[in-house]
Amino acid sequence: MNKKICVTQPTLTRRDFLKTIGLTGTALAGSSVLTACGGKFSTPTPEIKKDNTITLNALYMNQAGYSEKVLQDIANRYIKQSNTPVKISYTFVKYDELHDKIVTSAAAATATFDVILLDLIWTAEFGRKGYVVPLDDRITAEVKKDIVPSIFSAFVYNNKTWAFPFLANFQCFFYNAAHLDKAGFSAPPKTIEEWYDQMVALKSKGVVKYPYIDSWNQKEGLVCDYVRLAAQYGGDLFSDDGKPTMDKGAPLQALKFMRQLIDEGLADPSATNTDEPGAMNAFVSGAVTFNCNWTFVRGNMLNPKVSKIVADARVGLLPPAKNNPQPAGSISGFQGLAVMANSKNTDVAWDFIKFATAPTIQSENLESEFPVWTSVQQSAQAKKVNPDVEFYATNLANAHHRPRVPNYQQVSAIIQEEIHACLLKQAKPEDAATSMVSRINALES
Amino acid sequence: MLEFLKAHFWHPLTHVEFRINRSDRWFAFFSLTPALLVTILVVFLPLLYALYLSFNKAEVMVVGGRGSVQTEWAGFNNYLYFLKDKSFWQGVRVTLYFTAVSLIIELVLGIIVALVLNQEFYGRGVVRALLILPWAVPTVVNARLWGLIYEPQSYGAMNGLLQSIGLTSPDNAINFLTSVPVFQSVPILGQITSWIGSTSAINWIILSDTWKVIPVVALLVLAGLQTIPIELYEAAEVDGASAWQSFWLITIPMLRPMLLVILVYRTMELFRVFDILYILMAYTVPVVAIRTYQEAFAFGLFGRGSAIAFLIGLFILLIAMVYINLINWEED
Repeated sequence: MNKKICVTQPTLTRRDFLKTIGLTGTALAGSSVLTACGGKFSTPTPEIKKDNTITLNALYMNQAGYSEKVLQDIANRYIKQSNTPVKISYTFVKYDELHDKIVTSAAAATATFDVILLDLIWTAEFGRKGYVVPLDDRITAEVKKDIVPSIFSAFVYNNKTWAFPFLANFQCFFYNAAHLDKAGFSAPPKTIEEWYDQMVALKSKGVVKYPYIDSWNQKEGLVCDYVRLAAQYGGDLFSDDGKPTMDKGAPLQALKFMRQLIDEGLADPSATNTDEPGAMNAFVSGAVTFNCNWTFVRGNMLNPKVSKIVADARVGLLPPAKNNPQPAGSISGFQGLAVMANSKNTDVAWDFIKFATAPTIQSENLESEFPVWTSVQQSAQAKKVNPDVEFYATNLANAHHRPRVPNYQQVSAIIQEEIHACLLKQAKPEDAATSMVSRINALES
Repeated sequence: MLEFLKAHFWHPLTHVEFRINRSDRWFAFFSLTPALLVTILVVFLPLLYALYLSFNKAEVMVVGGRGSVQTEWAGFNNYLYFLKDKSFWQGVRVTLYFTAVSLIIELVLGIIVALVLNQEFYGRGVVRALLILPWAVPTVVNARLWGLIYEPQSYGAMNGLLQSIGLTSPDNAINFLTSVPVFQSVPILGQITSWIGSTSAINWIILSDTWKVIPVVALLVLAGLQTIPIELYEAAEVDGASAWQSFWLITIPMLRPMLLVILVYRTMELFRVFDILYILMAYTVPVVAIRTYQEAFAFGLFGRGSAIAFLIGLFILLIAMVYINLINWEED
């Protein structure tokens, strides 16, 4: 089918258009001449000052860790004491958006962000692809000595340090003492087996409908909880030579336990679409008794503005299995500050990181975060601010890492899909574990 | 394919009547140049680059303080990877389900709302103005809003509402956004819903998305309704036609061109749905746009990301061809 297009003569002719352009041009030229002559029609031209102020763009998350207020305060104090005229502009995003924003920033010739928050799981990827600057020649031996080796090593890949530790994030065991009291327990569980018995009692006595909630939606939090439970059973998801081992031993026991909790109604089924803040909300509302979560929960559970359980909320050790000789099993979520390699202000960026991560700054914010510095962790002030510091230290000492491999994002996506399907009762734990292993092996090949 | 494109899009100059002279044609071209340049720079060049990436193994690297995308020729491997991947086809099925169900709801409810607004009643102008409000809500805000409504605990807005009218109790809060297929426990039905990806989560999200879009569909249908001559209805009434007959034999045929426009526009939008699903469910609902984002930005595999993006483009082109045929059938 042929269509006919009929273009009619425009009402504004070319001649009219050119006339208009000519008149406008003449008027503009005339006004410029008048301005240049400085007559009474001209406006005073402001004196142009050359501004040497450097703007540092920093990428951070507004989900956990230090609050926006604390970070803004750190920035203001840095600006005051800095010899270089500098401005700091933060961009706050959800944790899930951090990685992708960093990749986008790395793709540009010049980075959008100079300073980024680097999760330990990205160390290998960012190090291999050169997204961030190695910091080894900037960190002294004295500084290294004062940071727990497990925290510092989390940011080392190929014998280079790619970020400076900022958040000593790891998981702790949070529980409601009043609920336990109602169910006839005077202390939190010491083993996973005891924990299970307490959950059964809490449910059968009608204290709560679901004793436990966790962040089991199909996100990174699910991998963290799986690694943590495997640690509670005394194992890891990968062998020392980097082979996936989810189909046997501690990881398989962990997955079976997660599924059992769902099957028996001991874990809230809504956990499968709940993230860490959501799980914390359920805990501080008093709806559940137990929540294994990151350190940010403590500040919230003791804050009467958001918590209904201020008097009853407690922190404890993440209980290990009976046959696990360790006193606890936790998961590391350490995060560091790093300098983007395509930043134009790498020196100033490092100077800011040095200031923001200093022991003095961390010792002022002990309420919200556990410090990365050993000297601050062991200070009298830390013990005064956080009476649970001993539990924290034990959980930290028994924190296991997620694998640090360059294709971690793909590995994590596979683990998330398989475990999530298992928790939604779409696959048996054994089948999910076998599938995980074969898919991860396929990635490697 | 080429024959189809020629038949529908190619109109040789011999069949075009120009009544403007050569110098005016140059003037028209000169006037269009800025817009043309912008289009080339921000649409065609990135498109060509993405096409190039789709045939490469491409990843972001920073070398010598400069970020760039490093490439290595991979031929059709990226395309073959998806065409052989079961989870990609599952994603296509979920996307088609989301698109089809959303379209049906939007069209049916949009027509009903438009028919009501086409009637004379007190305050009609105000209602018409208020109707557009959901459309004005940004998609991200809409997603966050519905996230609060669907909160699975007893303090969630929807759960609170259900409790206040006595349909549920605080101990029985509903988990709306669970990824469990509907009718999972019913033998054959459960397998079908599982195969097409009809989960509780996706169905509730369809509701959230259609809430935002129905107003604009209704307004478009309303615009179509106002072009139908009233004489047709009067003649039908004289002939003794019932209201249903008038609707089915006059309103729907007369609305068909507008409905086709809505179908094309909404299909394109729905097939590449991303925002609301990503905000509420991250990577849990594997529609093709989510998969594209995950491959490119989460995994850093820009070659694969580009390849899947072109596959989506191909699917949309196929759907567009069906619609164009419908339009041509209508014209004939």
